[in-house]
Amino acid sequence: MPVLELKDIAKQYNKRVWGVQGMSLDVEDKEFIVFLGPSGCGKTTCMRMIAGLEETTRGSIILQGKDITDLPPRDRGISMVFQNYAIWPHMTVYDNIAFALKLKKLPSSEIKSRVEEVADMVKIGTMLSRFPGQMSGGQQQRVALARALAVRPKLFLMDEPLSNLDAKLRVIMRTELKAIHQRTEATSIFVTHDQSEAMSMADRIVIMKDGEIVQVGTPEDVYFRSADIFVAGFIGTPPTNFFYVDVKKENGCTILDHEFFKAELGKEDSDRLSGYEEIVLGVRPEDFILNKEGNGILKSQVLVVEPQGAHQVVALEVEGNIIKTLVPSDHSLRPGDNISFDFDMRHLHFFDKQTEKRIS
Amino acid sequence: MDNPTGVLSREQKKKIIPYLLIAPVVIYYILFWLLPVVRAISGSFMSAPADEGGVFTFGNYTALFKDPVFYQALFNTAFIVLISVTLEFVLAFGLALLINMKFHGSGMFLFLALIPMSLPAVAVGAMWTSGLSTYGWLNSFLIRIGILNAADKIIFLGGGHFAKMFLIIIVDAWQVIPSVMVILLSGMQALQPEMMEAGYVFGGSRFKVLRKITIPLLKPTITTAMILRIIAAIQIWLIIVMLFGYNRLPVLLEQIVLNVDKYTGSEAFFRKGMALSVVVSLIVSCVSFLYLKVSGAFDEPAGKGV
Ligand SMILES: Nc1ncnc2c1ncn2[C@@H]1O[C@H](COP(=O)(O)OP(=O)(O)OP(=O)(O)O)[C@@H](O)[C@H]1O
Ligand SMILES: [Mg+2]
Repeated sequence: MPVLELKDIAKQYNKRVWGVQGMSLDVEDKEFIVFLGPSGCGKTTCMRMIAGLEETTRGSIILQGKDITDLPPRDRGISMVFQNYAIWPHMTVYDNIAFALKLKKLPSSEIKSRVEEVADMVKIGTMLSRFPGQMSGGQQQRVALARALAVRPKLFLMDEPLSNLDAKLRVIMRTELKAIHQRTEATSIFVTHDQSEAMSMADRIVIMKDGEIVQVGTPEDVYFRSADIFVAGFIGTPPTNFFYVDVKKENGCTILDHEFFKAELGKEDSDRLSGYEEIVLGVRPEDFILNKEGNGILKSQVLVVEPQGAHQVVALEVEGNIIKTLVPSDHSLRPGDNISFDFDMRHLHFFDKQTEKRIS
Repeated sequence: MDNPTGVLSREQKKKIIPYLLIAPVVIYYILFWLLPVVRAISGSFMSAPADEGGVFTFGNYTALFKDPVFYQALFNTAFIVLISVTLEFVLAFGLALLINMKFHGSGMFLFLALIPMSLPAVAVGAMWTSGLSTYGWLNSFLIRIGILNAADKIIFLGGGHFAKMFLIIIVDAWQVIPSVMVILLSGMQALQPEMMEAGYVFGGSRFKVLRKITIPLLKPTITTAMILRIIAAIQIWLIIVMLFGYNRLPVLLEQIVLNVDKYTGSEAFFRKGMALSVVVSLIVSCVSFLYLKVSGAFDEPAGKGV
């Protein structure tokens, strides 16, 4: 049985603005779910409905088999890490973490041991008597985390908890959060608009757009089997490149025909595309394979080279669009060089031109 | 350093500029605040102006401290301050919480609640005098809506000592609650809503969150509002004089006005009034200091906050 069931929940802020248009989702026990989507797509709204901070306009929220749609936040057994931490500046770190435990009237020895346990887990064990104002942003973040962990919630919500940290600390906290999750096994929902954060942390990613779910799946699902053009363009850095191509038959083979290239498809892909005349082809940057002889499928000139260490991002201009490719760093390339690529035919993405949905 | 352009070096100029900038304020302060204060203090220790043969004396103070009316005024003022500040604060806090919930029409409610604030004290006095007199509009209104019999009009202004004080407290509350509320409301609106939301998520009821989170976070605002109110309440007098006249319900400030302004021509009263004004200033300073001390405004700040 899923821990959390969202049944077509929706939130209408006012006559014209819908925060969430209708979301259905089952979250399994111990799962780490990531909500991913561009700004304004309704991630926060959804979290706040689950936490009870926002009324649910329609639909129901079931937690461990119990309908909690209209319960006040404190009766839900859910804890939350807020984007701006929201730790209380007038209380010491200890009191911040112990707040919920004291309200539950736990014996003080139990409170003490729990506070110390979670404080050690997030590495602020030595700072319990400090006030938040005397701590760095990253440390405050840890207090917020400890406070949320201390209550041993049925469900653990995190709304962009890492977005206020600097790039390096974010990557460190990512790993720590994942380790904490493996240790506590708390069912978690994590919100981010950073796709690499989502990919690296999630058991399953929920991709949202305009208040609706576009795709739910493992990081591999959303990356290799993106449900539509939006997902393919949103996931991956650099994102997927798109080409409008015609589907043609030549000598019994299926050909993708573009002004700048022609690509011949294998049997399986040909079957998938039977009946289509025009499609959108998606090619991920790493699926461009450099052809050293210079007689690959796509021939162009290097526009810009962005070194990244082990590999480099090579940008080309094809038909007025910028195409980004990944090339190992051992090829030295300069702007203006002629360059030629083959496609990794196993990983091509085909999308319907009208519906923008994946063709499968 | 070689200095061809002027008498002052760059360094010296930099040091002098801030002093030049605050000079007008300092001059203003000396002329219109410090001098009168010094003159009031020195004047309270003189039997008459120096050029009219006045000599140094404690007589003004002994006269003041022997006057039973002074103690009455002291008690009345203390009573009014204590009750009215408490009452006003509680009501204003409640109103601010209500308006801060941003229900439908709360903007209009805020506007209506602010009306008393915009009226000058004299107008308020006039309004209540005409309202509370035996044939005033309040009695007419109560009779019109049928709560009161025309035969038993309430004699609002004719009550006993404490009835008078409560009447003053109510009238004063009516006028100043909006200003206290506005200060508290602005403090509440400056709080991050997540602070309270975190309280709800982590098991707090409305009351618990109010007590453990909202009020502590509002403490600086509350201190400001309270200190302003306490000082203003100690200085209450005009409304009392307008409703009852002089010497009917003696309070400190009214006694100053009475001695200095009304008993014209009598040097002794004038001097006693000066002594009283020094005493009142001392009381105000002490009470403010005590309040700030107790409320922790002088403590080391706990940190820069979030
Ligand atoms: N209190 C509100 N009143 C009216 N509209 C709101 C309110 N809060 C959010 N919205 C609208 O609801 C939509 C979803 O907002 P939400 O905050 O859930 O987005 P989000 O996915 O969390 O975005 P971000 O990544 O920027 O945090 C937005 O279009 C927003 O303008
Ligand atoms: Mg958000």
